Amino acid sequence: MNQKRTMTLNLTDQEMKVLEDLSNQKDLSKTAVLRQALRLYQLVEVKLAEGGKLFFEDQKKEKAELMVL
Amino acid sequence: MRTSVLLLHRASGEPVEGELFDEVTVEHFLEAQREWRPIVLDAAKRLVEAGAAKEEIPRHWHWDWSSKESDLRVLAYGFVGIAYEGRLQGLMKLETAGRSGRIAAQKGKPLVYVDYLETAPWNIKQIASVLGAKPKFGAIGTRLIEAAVRRSLEEGFKGRLGLHSLSSSERFYLDVCGMTAVGKDPAKQSLLWCEFTPEQAEKFLAGGTA
Repeated sequence: MNQKRTMTLNLTDQEMKVLEDLSNQKDLSKTAVLRQALRLYQLVEVKLAEGGKLFFEDQKKEKAELMVL
Repeated sequence: MRTSVLLLHRASGEPVEGELFDEVTVEHFLEAQREWRPIVLDAAKRLVEAGAAKEEIPRHWHWDWSSKESDLRVLAYGFVGIAYEGRLQGLMKLETAGRSGRIAAQKGKPLVYVDYLETAPWNIKQIASVLGAKPKFGAIGTRLIEAAVRRSLEEGFKGRLGLHSLSSSERFYLDVCGMTAVGKDPAKQSLLWCEFTPEQAEKFLAGGTA
């Protein structure tokens, strides 16, 4: 693994609550949740840059394209 | 990361020191394609011509590591290789984001996914024998799965690991590694989904199957 660097992150109460909930649901530390988020964000960007599309499919099997900014 | 790992030199039955590394480059992909693929393809052709059963024919004859060059820059992917005396003996691609457990108690919990794991063809008994040789080194797959479990621990996934096994490798993942067979996955060519719980992963790393 590459050497790690430290950063300070300021979150609102609501953001921290979401982070804590995700941490509990996923059985991950808060740092690991944020690392996952970064990886997924980059992965989506790479796939979109390659011409891929990101969809959510609902229970009726209808697809909605997700716009990623 | 570069670390020494023990491989089994099959001819002598003695352990030898190989090198496990995660600084995989496109040169390793090119080496795998140049050195491995023609051998796997040749063995597959010979087995087909000899009328071998479908499950005996290596299903990875069409794999192309060089197509994964762009994946080297993606954080969600990781690669691990094993070399002995400068020659590539095994290669593995991992996914470290977006995958979760399928065992009931592990559902929704993230795991490291082994997307590809390949051992050099001269180390695979079935391929070596069809080409009139004996396999050179053993324990390559075990060392790679150990590395994948360690990566899962580093990621905070507590050793959770998942993969789709080729039919010819199911016995290795289930009997040697001690993974749980969760079921055939119709979304992935009906390959068997195998998974390590944290407890199974810990036992595997300690040297015993779960």
